[in-house]
Amino acid sequence: MNEAKRKLLNKRYRAEANFKLFGQIAIGLALLFLAVFMYKIFSKGYTAFQKTWIVTEVHYDKELMLIETDNPSLEDLENADYYDIAYKAMTRLDPSLPEEDDRQLIQMVAFTYEQEVKNHLLKNPSLLGKIVPIRLTASDDLDQVHKGNYPRDIPEEDRRVNDYQLKIYDMLNERGDILSKFNLSFFTNPDSREAELAGIASSFMGTVFSILVCLAFSFPIAVLAAIYLEEFAPKNKFTDFIEVNINNLAAVPSIVFGLLGLGVLLAVFNLPRSTPLVGGITLSLMTLPTIIIAARASLKAVPPSIREAALAMGASNMQTTMHHTVPLSMPGTLSGTIIGLAQALGETAPLILIGMVAFVNTIPGTPVDPAASLPVQIYIWSESAERGFVEKVSACIMVLLGFLILMNLAAQIIRHKFERKWN
Amino acid sequence: MRGNGTNMTKISAKNVNVFYGSKQALFDVSLDIMDKEVTALIGPSGCGKSTFLRCLNRMNDVIDICKVEGSIKMDELELNSRKLDVVRLRENVGMVFQKPNPFPKTIYENVSYGPTIHGMAQSKSELDQIVEMSLKKAALWEEVKDRLDEIGTGLSGGQQQRLCIARAISVSPEVILMDEPCSALDPIATAQIEELIDDLKKEHTIVIVTHSMSQAARVSQKTGFFHLGKLIEFGDTEKIFKNPDNQQTQDYITGRFG
Repeated sequence: MNEAKRKLLNKRYRAEANFKLFGQIAIGLALLFLAVFMYKIFSKGYTAFQKTWIVTEVHYDKELMLIETDNPSLEDLENADYYDIAYKAMTRLDPSLPEEDDRQLIQMVAFTYEQEVKNHLLKNPSLLGKIVPIRLTASDDLDQVHKGNYPRDIPEEDRRVNDYQLKIYDMLNERGDILSKFNLSFFTNPDSREAELAGIASSFMGTVFSILVCLAFSFPIAVLAAIYLEEFAPKNKFTDFIEVNINNLAAVPSIVFGLLGLGVLLAVFNLPRSTPLVGGITLSLMTLPTIIIAARASLKAVPPSIREAALAMGASNMQTTMHHTVPLSMPGTLSGTIIGLAQALGETAPLILIGMVAFVNTIPGTPVDPAASLPVQIYIWSESAERGFVEKVSACIMVLLGFLILMNLAAQIIRHKFERKWN
Repeated sequence: MRGNGTNMTKISAKNVNVFYGSKQALFDVSLDIMDKEVTALIGPSGCGKSTFLRCLNRMNDVIDICKVEGSIKMDELELNSRKLDVVRLRENVGMVFQKPNPFPKTIYENVSYGPTIHGMAQSKSELDQIVEMSLKKAALWEEVKDRLDEIGTGLSGGQQQRLCIARAISVSPEVILMDEPCSALDPIATAQIEELIDDLKKEHTIVIVTHSMSQAARVSQKTGFFHLGKLIEFGDTEKIFKNPDNQQTQDYITGRFG
């Protein structure tokens, strides 16, 4: 081998080594960004899955509750007055506190504390007349103090938790009367203005309903359109034009579809505002082209030999399509559908336009009840000033990501399980 | 090889011209295919032999730009007519393709598909019978009778091709078209298929396109030699291979070109 040839060969090897190196750097960078992103979200958000309670004692005093009968029914308990006993349950934490400062103790628990005292008794009516320990939801500020998210060393007037409340907190904490447990209410509560009570139930259900509506509208239309275009439509200028337009539709910014939903679904058809029904239909406009393109690609991937075999057996076009081509293309179509739905799942802009950004403190039971959706919930909470909402935003992102990962996993599994290798 | 033909013409093609767009693929092809005989079509790649074969069951319809002129008659029925019901035609003219193409369904479903869509069986047991008969005729029954519910694409290449033959004969077609049925198979599987073709000609008229001249010589009674879209010579296989009239045929079968 002469010198020039050896040089050329070395150069070729070097080029390949460099290319590999750049590729590895690119992947490394991508993974680094992903890791930083995940770390930020998880380190900020994991505390939202913990909830803080203050343990105190409550005296279910019949007299203070204004119960006059000896054997009160559940209805009597329902109608009893809990204001005084709940108030006393809090003030007993520091009997030395002058009465006019009681507010400071009350502020340490969520404003629903009276309801919590009531619910505790309704669950165990035998507690009537007794003095029992009870746990009350801590206020979001105290919750943040307990989780170490709230700086204690800034001047008192800048703090939402004052020195007195911190003193009581420290005393309770030493006694073991501050509880920290799994935050079930984050998943079962609707949205709330109070961070300690806010949950994702309404937005989660809103997302589920929107996705179902979206699937119900887009899947049949898209699959029929794809089958017709791929298997039956004549190939001419008009079908070419339709094809180009479908591809263009896939690239239209989602906010445009939101405007369409606002202008047509709400203004012309008068569908109920802020509902998953409208949200789902709007999202289905976005998923339609995605599913059509995926379905057509997987119909195209069915080898012509299968079609020929069926046609040569005397099957009609329709029979060939329905018996052979469509079943064989289904795995690809389904995974394309799930990918399309996963995209729709993360959409915020079109939903804001059709009013799904409204504050909803009820859990929707049907697609025509007002609801938010997970990405919109993230947006709403990220605008809130309270410190308690910061961790909620991250936690909500985690739930949304989990949802997305599940859907993509399902798409992968379908693709792998039903994938056929054509020999 | 002796013929057992009835000496009746099954298919008669007259002046067939085929165009793919502006390109002409067949020029004035005229030939008669005899009933219950094997007719082989040979010739180099791109000579139009497959194109002619696909005219016989109108598979060229699938190709938009394909245009067929001329007359092809099967028992007085004009095949090259717009009025012809291609579904009925294909029920009568089965086809076996170059690459084995069983449906990715069970062996049973592969064979029962034709009888099912054409409503040939009144009951499940009748359908079972048709499937068994077809698989037996295709010499596959003994190998697959215990695994009819396995996927057809899981069989070996030769078995797949015999499955495709079983599928084709399941609707008892009068004519079976074979488009290079052995080109993807090993010699042993090829020998099995050739033996099978010899059996099938008792009940079916067979037209086979093949690249292998020895195969044509072994299985057919009549042979047609195509070159550049023209039918150069057509006649008894023995004569074509031993004493062809045309110099081009002579050159091709002796391996001087093609």
